Amino acid sequence: MCNDHHNKLTSNNRDLQKIERQIDRRHFLKKTSLGLGAIALSSLLGAEKMFGATGSKTKEDIILENYNKNRLGLPHHLPKAKRIIYLFQSGGPSQMDLFDYKPKLVDMFGKELPESIIGGQRLTGMSGSQSTLPIAPSTFNFKQYGKSKAWVSDAMPYLSEVVDDLCFMKGMQTDQINHTPAITFMQTGHQLPGRPSIGSWLSYGLGSDNENLPTFITLVSKNGKGQPLKASLWGNGFLPTEHQGVQFRSGKDPVLYLSDPENYDGNDRRHMLDYLGGLNDIQNDAYGDPEIQARMSQYEMAFKMQTSVPEVADLTDEPDHIFELYGKDSRDPGTYAANCLMARKLLEKGVKFVQLYHQGWDQHNNCPGGLKHQCKKTDQGTAALIKDLKQRGMLDDTLVIWGGEFGRTVYSQGQLTKENHGRDHHPKAFTMWMAGAGVKPGFSYGETDDFSYNVIKDPLHVHDFHATLMHLVGVDHERLTFKHQGRRYRLTDVHGHVVKDLLT
Amino acid sequence: MDNSVPDFVLFLGRFHPLVVHLPIGFLFFAFVLEVFSRWKKNPMLTTGIPLALFLGAISGAVACVLGYMLSLSGDYEVDALDTHFWFGIATTAIAFLAWLIRIEKIKIAQLNRLHPNISGLTLLVILLSVTGHYGGNLTHGSDYLVKYFPFGKEEKTELVAVTKLEDAQVFNHLVGPILDNKCASCHNESKKKGSLSFHDSIAILKGGKNGKILISGNASESEMIKRVLLEPHHDDFMPPEGKTPLTEEEIAILTYWIDNAKGNFDTTVANVETPEDISGIASTMLGLSPSGAKGGDIALPTVNMVTANQIVDLEKEGFTLRELVFDSGLYEVVLTPNSLSKDNGQGALKKLEKLLTIKENIIWLSLEDNQLTDESLKIVGQLPNIQKLKLNNNPLSDAAITSLVNLKSLTSLNLYGTQITSKSLQTIAQINSLKHVYVWKTNIKQEDIDELAFNDYPEVILGL
Repeated sequence: MCNDHHNKLTSNNRDLQKIERQIDRRHFLKKTSLGLGAIALSSLLGAEKMFGATGSKTKEDIILENYNKNRLGLPHHLPKAKRIIYLFQSGGPSQMDLFDYKPKLVDMFGKELPESIIGGQRLTGMSGSQSTLPIAPSTFNFKQYGKSKAWVSDAMPYLSEVVDDLCFMKGMQTDQINHTPAITFMQTGHQLPGRPSIGSWLSYGLGSDNENLPTFITLVSKNGKGQPLKASLWGNGFLPTEHQGVQFRSGKDPVLYLSDPENYDGNDRRHMLDYLGGLNDIQNDAYGDPEIQARMSQYEMAFKMQTSVPEVADLTDEPDHIFELYGKDSRDPGTYAANCLMARKLLEKGVKFVQLYHQGWDQHNNCPGGLKHQCKKTDQGTAALIKDLKQRGMLDDTLVIWGGEFGRTVYSQGQLTKENHGRDHHPKAFTMWMAGAGVKPGFSYGETDDFSYNVIKDPLHVHDFHATLMHLVGVDHERLTFKHQGRRYRLTDVHGHVVKDLLT
Repeated sequence: MDNSVPDFVLFLGRFHPLVVHLPIGFLFFAFVLEVFSRWKKNPMLTTGIPLALFLGAISGAVACVLGYMLSLSGDYEVDALDTHFWFGIATTAIAFLAWLIRIEKIKIAQLNRLHPNISGLTLLVILLSVTGHYGGNLTHGSDYLVKYFPFGKEEKTELVAVTKLEDAQVFNHLVGPILDNKCASCHNESKKKGSLSFHDSIAILKGGKNGKILISGNASESEMIKRVLLEPHHDDFMPPEGKTPLTEEEIAILTYWIDNAKGNFDTTVANVETPEDISGIASTMLGLSPSGAKGGDIALPTVNMVTANQIVDLEKEGFTLRELVFDSGLYEVVLTPNSLSKDNGQGALKKLEKLLTIKENIIWLSLEDNQLTDESLKIVGQLPNIQKLKLNNNPLSDAAITSLVNLKSLTSLNLYGTQITSKSLQTIAQINSLKHVYVWKTNIKQEDIDELAFNDYPEVILGL
């Protein structure tokens, strides 16, 4: 079969046979003896494919090809942010124990949460069957910090130093009350898996700033406990596969098998890949399956990552005072702090979207202790990242996002004591913050009622958050679309408004 | 007109614009057949003419009835309607007549010599055209057909173009164009859907069949604002389905006119309390660049496009180009770190000089980590439109910064990791547009910043 693959590739798969019966470009050109019509047609089909050759491209062609590859009619307007780092706090951090200060709750300790506040909301199965919903004031102490006088609890001593760079969104609202749909919604704009994640949309729409590294990289803190994370959160959905997030392992080697095996110098790898590329090209000509192209581009990316990743993953050239800034965890690869530091290096190298996850914010019981532990693991790294980006001038064109998939209830799940309580999921009001490129520093948007239960001023729905995020990177969220199964999709689907009040 | 017309009649009436094309087609085809049969001397072609005439006459009659039903809605101006009405009936009558002549039920001996068939058909085509024209005027407005007529254009009294937002008339410059674009195709002098017209201030104040449409000073209660804010699928939503809805900005302008300008037709922006977001929208509408005084962004310049050759030339030298707004010709240019260090001074200068080939197109420039010399910044100082400039991690001294004082659009300057001293802080004060300066890891200390005695000094970020 190998000898005559230029004559006809045949398959025993019926779907592929169908494709084979369609016009075979090579045969078509041969039959028409390279007549004018054939040339005109092949130029319609894509001029660079006309003679099937890949080796004849000049350096200029390659430059232009790479340049044009990134042009999809975007950006729609001048971007504020060149890159984004999303610090995802998975599990649903409690807003009223961290940022949404509710002093009146102290006097209401243990009282029943009024039905007028719950408003007939359907609660989860975990606390919905409780005979009583007693109000649990925060056990943390709040103080105002910075020129912006932002309230932050003593659970986050490091973050309180940078509040003047943060833009709090205290009226966040989501549609989902359980982890998997809520986190999927937050990351892809839809509660069911299968839609492209934010980073994939940006990779697809805006292209790459560094051909040697993936455009979209995911980092997950090691030893994460709690709700599981899954690859569909950084998946490409129906977008071409090369736009999916590349997950770096949380450990010493972020990507395995990058180094050459023993007794192999790697010198002929380029040659090998070129030949493999040629074979894949033949397959691509025959079937036109976009997955073949994705595979080819992923092989190329893997080849480049052999040199680019060890360089960027090597934190040894960071000076001591930087490690001190991020905290002692940062010397331990795979921790949240180390990932923050690595994220900064990735952003510096031109990675467009870094999605960082830290699990364990799901305090159904022992909320005070659990939160303290979570903050201890993350607070210093988060604040250090802000400071570090700022001193390098990168906060000017980098958007930092912090937040979970929903908030938590003011009433206690399980038993309430003076020292301890639990909190259940709460989608109707929670707090997130952004910092950096294009958002107002030292600003707070949205307000909740005295129970941090309902938003009473400036609600901000997840779709609006997505629309605003896209706006900051120069994308009109209504115009970045992809046609799939007969209709055009976008990150915000049919929703979303840019919240101009958040923008500088 | 009263509202006693049954809905069903109106429902049928709306089929008039659809059905009306049948007689047009049939009758015109009869004419074409007649002309061709004479020209080609082929009598076979004439056999279809009676059928075409008959169908044209019948469908014309149906169209007349439907048209009458549509006219009962009262949405149309009476005079224009009358003309269309009578011409329509005349066309139908003549069509019947022509059919009868053709099948020789009527013989007009006196006219035999005039080829009665062709004359009847010609008359029909003329009538069709006239009727159709009046019908079109009713639907689209009387100036629709020749609005874009290229010669001898008779301009309406041209508005004086404004150069300052304060001089703009709230109604004539801002509100009027929105109404003309989005509303006037159905609400004009000749076509008054819901008896409402936007053609002048009197008509607007008069309102429509449901009463007044604007309450001065109270936009949220004004019908014209209520209607555009409804759910798009609501029956009363304006503009109706299929037409382009108003944008958020346009609604904001209308609201501003009713609320802040009290629905006044003569007042100017200067006399009305104008919030910042409105002045931004208004400036964009009028093609004015928003004034820098209100702390907004620096307007983007209009520049020539960069050619493919220029891109290739620069990319070959190690620059990466990325267009910041699609098809604007405005670019972010990044010089790959460490790509100059191999060259000695002269080679590096030659490389940077290439930037001058697209000097107006560069909005963001990054030359970080490239062993830049003070002298090379003279080239950077010649790039007039730069807004963000990254020079960090280069061995630059205070002399380098003096080359940058003529950059009038510069908002962000990154100098961390250079050898500048507090002297440069004085130089930087000359760049008025500057908002952020990054000076971590330089010889500048907190005391130097504290000692600065300038108003409006950009934020200096020192780091840790």
